[in-house]
Amino acid sequence: MERFLLKRAIVLVVTLTLVSFLAFLVPWIGDTDPARAIIRSRVADLAMDSAAVEALRIKLGLDQPLLHQFFTWLGRVFQGDLGLSFTSRLPVADQILRAIGVSATLALSALFLALAIALPVGTLAAVHQGRRFDGIVTFIAQGFVSIPEYWLAPVLVLLFAVELGWLPSAGWSGFETLILPAAVLCLRPLAYFSQVMRASMIDVLHANYILAARSRGLGLAGALVRHGLRNGIQPVLTVFALWLAGLLGGSVVVEVIFAIPGMGRLIYSAVINNDMPMLQGSIICIVGLAIVINTTADVLYGVLNPTVTVSGDAR
Amino acid sequence: MISPGDTPCLKVENLDISIGDAVAVARGINLEIRRGETVALVGESGSGKTVTALSLIDLLPPPLKVTRGSVSICGQKITRAAPDALNRIRGNRVGMIFQQPSSMLDPSCRVGRQVGEALRLHRRASRGEAFERAVELLREVGIPEADRRARSFAHQLSGGMAQRVMIAAALSSDPDLLIADEPTTALDVTVQAQILGLLEKEKKQRTLSILLITHDLSIVSAMADRVVVMYAGGIVEEGPVATIMRAPQHPYTKALIDCSLMRTAGGGDLESIPGTIPPPTRSIPGCRFHPRCPHALARRQESACAREEPAATRTAAGHLVHCWAAEP
Repeated sequence: MERFLLKRAIVLVVTLTLVSFLAFLVPWIGDTDPARAIIRSRVADLAMDSAAVEALRIKLGLDQPLLHQFFTWLGRVFQGDLGLSFTSRLPVADQILRAIGVSATLALSALFLALAIALPVGTLAAVHQGRRFDGIVTFIAQGFVSIPEYWLAPVLVLLFAVELGWLPSAGWSGFETLILPAAVLCLRPLAYFSQVMRASMIDVLHANYILAARSRGLGLAGALVRHGLRNGIQPVLTVFALWLAGLLGGSVVVEVIFAIPGMGRLIYSAVINNDMPMLQGSIICIVGLAIVINTTADVLYGVLNPTVTVSGDAR
Repeated sequence: MISPGDTPCLKVENLDISIGDAVAVARGINLEIRRGETVALVGESGSGKTVTALSLIDLLPPPLKVTRGSVSICGQKITRAAPDALNRIRGNRVGMIFQQPSSMLDPSCRVGRQVGEALRLHRRASRGEAFERAVELLREVGIPEADRRARSFAHQLSGGMAQRVMIAAALSSDPDLLIADEPTTALDVTVQAQILGLLEKEKKQRTLSILLITHDLSIVSAMADRVVVMYAGGIVEEGPVATIMRAPQHPYTKALIDCSLMRTAGGGDLESIPGTIPPPTRSIPGCRFHPRCPHALARRQESACAREEPAATRTAAGHLVHCWAAEP
């Protein structure tokens, strides 16, 4: 276990260094002159003093070789200093931290809601495999996968906020503002989770240990709860981790529509405003989080499934 | 000894099992096991033994189902019983062990919990009591370091160990009947002997009836009091183990015994029955064994064997034989 975590920590550092290099190169790829961008972010005036630009270039070390700049920058990144935002002139790290908290709240609400519905629904669909309930569930799941968020979100806002007036239409100020975006965001993972759960519970239903459990006097429901769920949930956990890693980066569409100050909107406005430090910081944070989440999922998998040994050795 | 008036531990009457409504996989099964008796149900693969076993505790996987007849265990009717009533009988009055013991254990549940499960269900034991009793049971079935083993998982056990665990689980709430479906088929020969010895020991300690389902005649004479021979979904002969093995009356039983390795241990050629067991989808008119029967008459088209199913004949040796050539 310790070796496994150590190995994952090394992977984390190596991956983050590589990703940082790519993130570092973003301004060059985008053909943006950082010095000009910074000055433009400070003085709205478009007439730019080329002497001032040159002075800033030297002051920021932008005249140094590329690799030298990179390692200076990387050193600061690993100390948690992601620089100042071009637009707000506040530390990027603080803003990302705040936005990730918001996105995490939204993502976890949506995903746990999806899980809470998908586990029983997927199990029931497996039990009723090939019958009407199963057909309806599969049909609805396909619908959920194909409904685009940019359509569903405004429709729900029109219905529940504008027409019925039950919920606020946008903003981020407590539980009420969480309901609509979480509902929109949960549909697609709900569809995936329920279908994965269904498939895995169909395998479990035919497993010999369920037959043996029933021969001891457990009813079908009892056997599934005591011996089925724990085995059937494992594939769902894998999919859950993938979704969580994906959603922590923020959902641009939902966050923009509902005016939620999360990662999606942060990245969206960073792109719009050419805010390079913000973009770089976001990329690094999201990749780092994804690795941490997948490692957590692997550890959890080992806890659920005793035949999987979590170790540093290749198996 | 047990008086004949006792309620039989298991009584199966005229049982038919089909796939859906069409294909019959077992027909007209009659079976009775008295208290403390061991009955062996013998036949080739595909003769319907396992299906019959599962029907006894009403756990046939769909689309298999019982279409006619009845099963009772200790006088309680199993066929068409309510699910709750069935759950109270399974694991309580009747335990079952299976062919692939390792796959019969939940891979993510400690074996001690599974052994104690029937106690939790039928004896209302607390979690701690059930686990303690499970450790005792594991010790009883010969598992070394039982308290440590009770905390291990299925993948940490060998096949023989897993079968011991299954036996402990099946016997935990002291059932009257143990259904053992090919309990040693998947195990090494040396382990086979240990498991059979364990079953014998348990049978003597408790008043346990055993239905031993097997294709292996060598274990039958050591274990069983009576033998029931199945062929293609039907019973062909039934009788006390000694006379069945020494003087089988049905041509199929004869052929089966001739094929078994015991008879050829002296150095003769290995026998085999020509042809194969017919699939349940093929219906055979007359006696189901007649196409493979060495009996000369059976081969003739006009003989009764090819036209009509033989009824049971009680022979002088006390066998019930389903054969036109059998003489009372």
